[in-house]
Amino acid sequence: MRSTAASAHRGLTQQQIRHWRRRALLALRYIILIVLALLFVFPIAWSFINSIKLPAEAMAVPPTYLPSQIALENYVELTTYGKIGVAQHVYNSAVVALITVAGSIVLSTLGGYGFARFNFPGKNFLFILVLSTLMIPFQSILIPLFVMIVQVDLHNTLFGLALVYITFQLPFGIFLMRNSFLAVPLEIEESALLDGCSSLSLLYRLMLRLVLPGVVTVAIYAFINSWNEFLAALIFMTDQDNFTLPVFLTTIRYGIWGEVDWGALQAGVIVSIIPSLGIFLLLQRYYMDGLMGGAVKN
Amino acid sequence: MSIPPNTLNLSWTQRRKLTGLLFVLPTVAFVTVFFIIPLLMTVYMSFHDWPLFGERAFTGLKNYSELGKDRQYLKSLDFTFRYTLLVTPPIFALGFILASLVRRNLRFIGIFRTIFFLPVVIGLGVSSLLWVWMLDDRIGIFNKILLDLNLVPKAQLFLGRPNTAMNVIILSVVWKTVGFTMILLLAGLQAIPDELYESAEVDGAGYFRKLFYITLPLMRRFIALALILSVIGSVLAFDQFYIMTRGGPRNSTISIVYWIFNNSFTYFKMGYGSAMSIVLLGILVALTGAQFYVLRERE
Amino acid sequence: MNLRKVLFILSLVALVFSALPAAAQDEPIQMTMWVRAINFQTQELVDQWNANNDSQIELTIIPPGEFVTKMGAAVAAGDPPDIASIDLIYTPAFASAGQLVDITEYVRELPYADSLTPAHMNLGLYEGRNYAVPTAVDGSFIVYNIDLFEQAGLDPDNPPATWDEMLEAMRAINDLGDDIYGYWFSMNCSGCNAFTFLPFIWASGGDVLSEDYSEATIAEDPIVREALQFYNTIWEEGLVPEGASIDSGANFATAFAAGNIGMAGTGNFALSLYQNDYPDLNFGVFHIPGRDGGAASFGGGDVIAIPAGTEHVEEAWRFIEWTMSEEPQIEIYAANGQIPLRLELIDNPYFEGDDRQMIAASALAVGHTPVTPVYNDLFNDANGPWLEMLQIAILDGDIDGAIELGQERFTQIMEG
Repeated sequence: MRSTAASAHRGLTQQQIRHWRRRALLALRYIILIVLALLFVFPIAWSFINSIKLPAEAMAVPPTYLPSQIALENYVELTTYGKIGVAQHVYNSAVVALITVAGSIVLSTLGGYGFARFNFPGKNFLFILVLSTLMIPFQSILIPLFVMIVQVDLHNTLFGLALVYITFQLPFGIFLMRNSFLAVPLEIEESALLDGCSSLSLLYRLMLRLVLPGVVTVAIYAFINSWNEFLAALIFMTDQDNFTLPVFLTTIRYGIWGEVDWGALQAGVIVSIIPSLGIFLLLQRYYMDGLMGGAVKN
Repeated sequence: MSIPPNTLNLSWTQRRKLTGLLFVLPTVAFVTVFFIIPLLMTVYMSFHDWPLFGERAFTGLKNYSELGKDRQYLKSLDFTFRYTLLVTPPIFALGFILASLVRRNLRFIGIFRTIFFLPVVIGLGVSSLLWVWMLDDRIGIFNKILLDLNLVPKAQLFLGRPNTAMNVIILSVVWKTVGFTMILLLAGLQAIPDELYESAEVDGAGYFRKLFYITLPLMRRFIALALILSVIGSVLAFDQFYIMTRGGPRNSTISIVYWIFNNSFTYFKMGYGSAMSIVLLGILVALTGAQFYVLRERE
Repeated sequence: MNLRKVLFILSLVALVFSALPAAAQDEPIQMTMWVRAINFQTQELVDQWNANNDSQIELTIIPPGEFVTKMGAAVAAGDPPDIASIDLIYTPAFASAGQLVDITEYVRELPYADSLTPAHMNLGLYEGRNYAVPTAVDGSFIVYNIDLFEQAGLDPDNPPATWDEMLEAMRAINDLGDDIYGYWFSMNCSGCNAFTFLPFIWASGGDVLSEDYSEATIAEDPIVREALQFYNTIWEEGLVPEGASIDSGANFATAFAAGNIGMAGTGNFALSLYQNDYPDLNFGVFHIPGRDGGAASFGGGDVIAIPAGTEHVEEAWRFIEWTMSEEPQIEIYAANGQIPLRLELIDNPYFEGDDRQMIAASALAVGHTPVTPVYNDLFNDANGPWLEMLQIAILDGDIDGAIELGQERFTQIMEG
């Protein structure tokens, strides 16, 4: 028996060894991935577990690992918090986020293309100007910004808030889209230009497909930021019906000293994660196709 | 060779210039209205004694000259840069490892990408509250696990000492933001054609040769973007300190923006807060310029 | 890629909504009212008002931490609410900056003006004129766990009345088990400790500010030192959980609700919380005692005022006056477990027989509130001198250093 095994071993071809080595490496990669994934998902999973405990159990000292009974009280509480409940605030956040995403995509794509492919006077200056938007603490220009928004009568509107959000997505969006356009080989464009395409239809018909991963990244970034922003949303909205989800979540407190209703907060966290997660999962398909690499090769 | 007429050529260039300007015009308009104008107003405010409400008075450069005498401001500058230096390397190292691990479209890889990205979709304010709760000595899960495994004799106050507070805040920020760096680096990795690696392998290049001669140079733009965003985000850090430690213990974790926020909205010294913001803007422009210079395209 | 279409439609929809014309002239008056998150009764007040009046009030709850920021931005932009319910300690700051409507003439006509809670009326006064009246009263007191008192052999009917008695009770309760503690304080929360620690000093006849609030008396008043010593003993002997030292208020009310804490300083806001969410919690209430007896309370809560610039002063006052009238005071305030704003209404059918409410309400009689426009910088700022002094004295044990630093930083801020 032993001799057969040994001879079988000796009989392994170079190819088989490589095959097994590759499989072992793959297994190792998955083990690392699973361990890391468990660490990453833990805080959210723990938050979810607590959100389905009874409110009093969610406050227990020391904490219990698993709920003694599964309860939806924390979520029910969310729907009755404030005077209109969580649904309206989710809707508000969604409207603001969608306008922000749409606006950011259009402006970043146009601007990114302009900065990547054209030469015009003041280009570098304007580019740095856009990027510098990132570098001021938002709190510093909040009051002047609000005074302006009031003057154009856009305060207390979801649209006005979205306009401000779009501005703050632009540095990232422009930078990323410019990079994406720069990564597309010039020849593709030149041949199309020679075919008599106008710049705009060239962008719309050809380039947009090639830079789709960039567009998707801008969209995800814009969505997450506008979905979670708190301070401007609070200052710009004078009417509770227009509060976005993060502002609503801060009202999940008992009192003036900052006491937190942990159970309800965990439920709020879960509610606020779901849409962002959905968007990411939805757009990931485009992302994963590796469109960028594919397009360049074609 | 059939486009010789000089005049036509010139007007084509001009048209290109005009088209380029038109493409960036909407962006420039937005930035002017919602950033430049408020910024100019902030500059104007910085030359005044400007309470949140009440009388205003022109004070010239007084707000700026007082900065040098403000011990907490200097302490906050020091703290903020120390924090930035400590938090950036782990975000990049882990971000790159994660991006490499999820690069290929293997089975289930989408699930892993999603999981690593999951914390990014939570707001920083909410995630800070989550961590305060998990780190709590009474109702926190970390202490519960450590105690049940007999790893510590009694519950630990992670946020109670300056060093451990800094460490756990960094841990929470890495958890929260590394997914985003991963995505940016992943986009960079995927832009590199496989053929380059294949031909390098034929030439017998090992992992590190490929890393330093193909991967990193070709990802330069994406690394620059991720680095600049990450550094700016760290220098402007506020929520995590405001929520997790309130600047404590003993005012050891007050970042610059925290101090600006305190002066503007707690002490109502809007003018002084504005002056600090303008100085901070200058620092960040210089820092970002330096990063651009280091990571510039070498042609 | 129909993004452009989507954006176009979205913008159009949003523009239409934002451009809807304001209410026409002949329609009933529309007023806006802002309130910070705590007032349980406000929603009911507004609902009842809207049901019985032509004028309508739209209520918006502002997260308390950002109330002043939001108010300041609104004032700066010329778009303040018609009615504002403000944390009473901010009234001097708002009134002195000319942001509130002078309501002296209205107040004079109130037959019960003298019985409105004195602390609130006092804070609404600026240069002899009235700018605000009370709308929510929140005094501080101590809650104690009756079950733990019994287990420790203490008499729950005779709660401690001096600092020494408190310490003894804490020690007895601490001995009940590893996970049971005599006391709770949130030592990384500045406001919490102004609310619950200052009264220990006041009840003993001391103060950290001079009578006219012009200077700090931390260094010269021996009671301040003794009170710091008292809290330092609690900390050194481990009578509070270690985590109390870093709690920034998240557990201020709920720590006691867990059932393993003997006593804790708290306020009216917590009573309804304990009664509604923790029905099994068996607790009592006593006044914050002085060193050798006596009692004091921090008179906290909200005042209601009319921000300058509103067009509806008359109607806004009509609402405010109604909220202080007898029926809503009994049927909305008292019925919701909130203390009525007029002292003569504390004896009411809802409070009768509820000792906890009666004791909590009677804290008002010993209520005290510092009146200074820099209150926030001194006491409420998480990075201000009050909290820093407490932490150095109580947690680090350096009482001399803390007093010196406190006196210096208080003086600095008060001299501006």
